[in-house]
Amino acid sequence: MRFLPAAALILSLTATTATADVADAVEQEILPGTAAFAGAAEALQVQAGATCTPTPELEAAWNDAFDAWMGVSHLRFGPLEVDGRVNAIAFWPDKKGFTPRMLGQMVADADEIVDQPDEFHELSVAARGLFALEYLLYDDQFAGYEADSYTCRLVQAISADLARMAEEIDQEWHDEAAPALLSAGEAGNTTYLDRDEAVRVLYTSLLSGLEFTADSRLGRPLGTFDRPRASRAEARRSGRSLRNVTLSLEALQGLARALMAPEAMPQSEAAFASVFEAIEAVETPDLSQVDDISGRLKVEIVQQRVQLLRRSVEGEVGGHFGLSAGFNSADGD
Amino acid sequence: MTRILKAALATTALVAAPSLALAVEKAEVLDTYADIAAAAYGDSLSTAKTLQAAVDELIANPSAEALEAAKAAWLEARVPYQQTEAYRFGNAIVDDWEGKVNAWPLDEGLIDYVDASYGGATDENEYAVLNVIANPTFTLSGEEVDAAAITPELLESTLHEADAVEANVATGYHAIEFLLWGQDLHGTEKGAGERSWTDYAAGDDCTNGHCDRRGEYLKAATDLLVSDLEWMAGQWAEGGEARETLMADEDAGIVAMLTGMGSLSYGEQAGERMKLGVLLNDPEEEHDCFSDNTHNSHYYDGLGIRNVYFGSYTGVDGTVTEGPSLSDLVAEADADVDATLKADISDTMFKLATLKSAAEAGFSYDMMLERGNEKGEALIMDAVDALVTQTRGIERAVTALELDQIGFEGSDSLDNPDAVFE
Repeated sequence: MRFLPAAALILSLTATTATADVADAVEQEILPGTAAFAGAAEALQVQAGATCTPTPELEAAWNDAFDAWMGVSHLRFGPLEVDGRVNAIAFWPDKKGFTPRMLGQMVADADEIVDQPDEFHELSVAARGLFALEYLLYDDQFAGYEADSYTCRLVQAISADLARMAEEIDQEWHDEAAPALLSAGEAGNTTYLDRDEAVRVLYTSLLSGLEFTADSRLGRPLGTFDRPRASRAEARRSGRSLRNVTLSLEALQGLARALMAPEAMPQSEAAFASVFEAIEAVETPDLSQVDDISGRLKVEIVQQRVQLLRRSVEGEVGGHFGLSAGFNSADGD
Repeated sequence: MTRILKAALATTALVAAPSLALAVEKAEVLDTYADIAAAAYGDSLSTAKTLQAAVDELIANPSAEALEAAKAAWLEARVPYQQTEAYRFGNAIVDDWEGKVNAWPLDEGLIDYVDASYGGATDENEYAVLNVIANPTFTLSGEEVDAAAITPELLESTLHEADAVEANVATGYHAIEFLLWGQDLHGTEKGAGERSWTDYAAGDDCTNGHCDRRGEYLKAATDLLVSDLEWMAGQWAEGGEARETLMADEDAGIVAMLTGMGSLSYGEQAGERMKLGVLLNDPEEEHDCFSDNTHNSHYYDGLGIRNVYFGSYTGVDGTVTEGPSLSDLVAEADADVDATLKADISDTMFKLATLKSAAEAGFSYDMMLERGNEKGEALIMDAVDALVTQTRGIERAVTALELDQIGFEGSDSLDNPDAVFE
């Protein structure tokens, strides 16, 4: 019986703070994030229109777009899930090498779809988005293409397709997804039948984002102790594997802080700080140091700390709201 | 913080208490679930034994008829097995084991000859074209391997997931499928793999070389499938480990049921197996790509989820296994949530049946995946959308049963928050 007063206290806190948390997440994190991604993707399209060979300007615009994507890539529901946009924007991991194979095929065939912007969305996701552009801009297989070549037009077409998707995501977040989250539990809202469902979808994004970084961004290149896999690091061709880890964690920290005041989740705050500290010790932007023992250890420490962070978030944020994560799209094999 | 978190757990316990008054007992629901598993794995075993007999016949007396009989037996064996997939994800004992019997996708060049268009070794997999059947010795991860005799042991311990690459699938249904059908070289056109029975013929009739070793491989893989299924069927029998683990904690058992349903519906089937294929337009992204049986594997996966929720399974000889169901349990907690979820699952089954009937009438699954094929995309995506909708319903069932917080059990940060930074 002595627990009852404390339990009552928790329930009342949950009841009064739930909607404010969702509103903070939407207004301070998500909508600015989708706007930034739309802006950066549009700038990339403009730059590709001006120079479609791998100039420093185009690479910078591509990197800016990728940075902005990391700010929203964990929101794998609603507008990001429609039409497979998550995959079309960032098809990774590419376990069977679809991206180079399909791009190579398109260049060899001079596939006319590059001149049919209305049909470009029908193209395989492996030949679209940020990773297709990375291959074209950074991989030896396509290096040295000319300004008037098919490859150049392909770069422009992929950039235009990316800008279109980013714009649609931003628009749909404003028009549909944000209002749905903010009116959770109100009459007529069939997406979120109560406030908890709105909190849960954000909480699931937070946890699955942490899981993806630990298992894929870090776990894939780490491989096993005997068999590290540097060639499986995300975006290694452009050397932004580590940057993606950092930016993703920053975005997830923003989401966590919107859901809960930092002082209410001291362990999670400490765990975030300890991950960022471990990242400082990693020297290779493409994580290629996993190939030697001491280098590998530093990457492994980052991974372990992300896993600890996930458990802290489960305890503090999940515990606070009385939620476990919902099903997420990475639940399969 | 520690004190408050513990108090939160105590709240869960208090809330859970009234469930004792429900007419449907959780233990009965779990009994039904375990009985269905025992029946479905039992059917998987018996149909695999039929396949084994057909394979033995093909190897002993190779003929076109014998190959067709083995293929037919494989297709029948898939029907009960796919219905067990809803037992994955929730039950660790199944999840840890299933990679041996149903791993997919595979780099089939590991096993046998492939077409030139398949390509060679990849960034991901150095052994994508190892071709064990043609090579009695080879080097794997720096070790010389003696594969003069192709045995279940060789497949299981040395070749399966060789070099820690998941696509090196040496065992299970899909390895056998490849050995019976061969590669499907029709792309997004109609047609399955067209391996000739002469790939198993003796002497001069043998095509593509090493027919004896191919037969040896097929036999080893089929024998292994039978022994693996035998083991799993035993785990669900009275006193078996899977059943005991399930019954040990009733709430955790119910969560296991719902976790299996939700993870299969969403991440696995709707996402990995169906939507990704549409997004890639690649016919290799078909779950049963050699045999063109993908429409059935999707359909029976969906049916397996339905079996779990409705507490009823119809076996391969017509025997019905049924009892108090998860649906009954949810209905007592919240009749609306149950009614909606039942309707959602029925809608999924209708969409999967629509896709299956189109495929059976000649519009095969690989044709549906063709770039710009809007009708195919609509058939697949309608089923994907229904699966996504039903996943929300499953989440609501978890909430209705007040099992939301069960997932925290065993979490260090809750049980012992100070341990996190030790």
